Amino acid sequence: MAKPVRMNLKEAVAQIPDGAMLTFSGFTIWRRPMAAVYEMIRQGKKDLHLVEVNGGTHSDLLIGAGCVKIWESCWIGHELFGKIGANLARKAEAGEVIIEDYSHVQILYRMAAGSMGLPYLPTYASMGTDMLNPAYDNLKTAGLRDGSNPKIPKKKYEIVSDPFYGGELLHMPAANPDWCIAHVQMVGEEGTVRVEGQLYSDSEAIKASDNVIIVAEQVVSEDYIRREPTRNLISGHQVSCIVEQPWGAHPTGCFGCYETDGSFIQNFFKSTRSQEGLDAWVKEWIHDIPDYETYLERIGITRLEQLRANPAFGYSTTIKRGTR
Amino acid sequence: MSRDTTLAKIGEFKPIDLLAVAAAREVTDGDVVFAGTGLPMLAIGLAQLTTAPTAVCIYEAGSVDGRPISLPTSVGDARCIYQASVASGLFDVFNQLQRGVVDLAFLGGAEVDKYGNVNTTGMGKYGIIPEKRLTGSGGNSDINGLARKTVFIMVQEKRRFREKVDFVTSPGWRIPKWPSGEMVPKKEVYNRAFRGGPEAVISNMGVFRFDENGEMYLDTYHPGCTPQQILENCSFDLNISRVSGETKAPTLGELDLLYKTIDPEGIFLP
Repeated sequence: MAKPVRMNLKEAVAQIPDGAMLTFSGFTIWRRPMAAVYEMIRQGKKDLHLVEVNGGTHSDLLIGAGCVKIWESCWIGHELFGKIGANLARKAEAGEVIIEDYSHVQILYRMAAGSMGLPYLPTYASMGTDMLNPAYDNLKTAGLRDGSNPKIPKKKYEIVSDPFYGGELLHMPAANPDWCIAHVQMVGEEGTVRVEGQLYSDSEAIKASDNVIIVAEQVVSEDYIRREPTRNLISGHQVSCIVEQPWGAHPTGCFGCYETDGSFIQNFFKSTRSQEGLDAWVKEWIHDIPDYETYLERIGITRLEQLRANPAFGYSTTIKRGTR
Repeated sequence: MSRDTTLAKIGEFKPIDLLAVAAAREVTDGDVVFAGTGLPMLAIGLAQLTTAPTAVCIYEAGSVDGRPISLPTSVGDARCIYQASVASGLFDVFNQLQRGVVDLAFLGGAEVDKYGNVNTTGMGKYGIIPEKRLTGSGGNSDINGLARKTVFIMVQEKRRFREKVDFVTSPGWRIPKWPSGEMVPKKEVYNRAFRGGPEAVISNMGVFRFDENGEMYLDTYHPGCTPQQILENCSFDLNISRVSGETKAPTLGELDLLYKTIDPEGIFLP
């Protein structure tokens, strides 16, 4: 793979074709590539196939906006700020989106196997649950496990005998998404990625994917980021393109940079529980504005400053969070 | 530090306070504890400040043994790794779980059956078009499968304590053996990875445990509740013959810690 190309968000997102299999950085409502998700909706992406270790505000929005056909994961919601992914629930209950359920480890191991170049990984996780119920293998029910799509394995899982120590365990097939979009704190001009705080499943998601878009709070010189290689997560040869987009994970949080914007997410959750509400929200925050800079202007400098992380802790100490 | 050990009277504590305190009492000093967002965070925080100072807390997003000075709002929160020994990711901490490192975990759920199978996936008929979709498994299922002991914290309602849950998200003591779906003891399915299972369910009405056959029974009823009321809020034939008495109320010292030290901002405790 050649050195990554620097581009703007519109150009980076334009590379993702309709129907692509896609994954993301982050965890639930932390470090999600929201600016890229807004841009995908603006560009009207269709039939996306999401395979993610867990869902959150980013994927619930993308699903609500009608960009997604298949969602393979284990959880979706907005943590304290909205108990379920209401858009996924609505679309699934209407038969418009296919859900394939896993446990956290099952889907994580799919991604990890993909990142290792292995066809599958064994695990004991979540044996004896309905995730393994053949009646609930929804991709099979939909006729999508016929081998025609090389990204969809012919079986959801396999229970196998342990050839070495006896007993049985579960094999989970590798996932290799076409694209990963990761929002990180810092990237070098040659694509070296630095992630601060909890790493979630970023390393597995990036390394499993065929193409990787890194959206960073800051692009810095390679010389700078290589002074402390032990702090870096991914080398540039595993990155396709890099984009600089400060505040690009808002309203999700970004360790060391800014806090999760809980009230914004809460408002999203409350106002998008119906399709009409979601459509109005998308019009107001995405289609009626030209780009992410305008979005940030609308959030406003006062709010952004409240969210800004205190460098001593990596989170905001000024934002009001609870009832006291 | 000496704390006021006077028991609070009915009216001096909220149901959520009792849940947090009852959950904290499940922690043994030295335990490695996997805790999720919300009440579990209050419980492990309280345990570490009282009876289990050397308990180690792992959050599933990747923080190990953090010493937060400000309550996280989720396991992915930046606050989780303040003074943590390691900030890693899911692959590391779930591998530790699979390795057998985790002694105790706190979990939640929408429905539970008498074997401790829990549903967090969907209500009603499931399949390619679900009747009512919930959040999904997350780590619930893995953690309940592979930790030594798990404790569920749940709302007590007839429609939530069921003979059979609509979707087995998280394995209890008797589970389906796939691909056939035959119900068998958990040990038979997990073989060399079998370490235990649901230790207790703590609801807003009582504390439940599991007998030699993996079936749920009522252990204690909360102050203000009776075993009969609990039976009325359970849709399976709950065993109340082994009830040992009333759940111990929170002490004034525990309430003080919960409201002034652990959640002073009023994030989970209104």
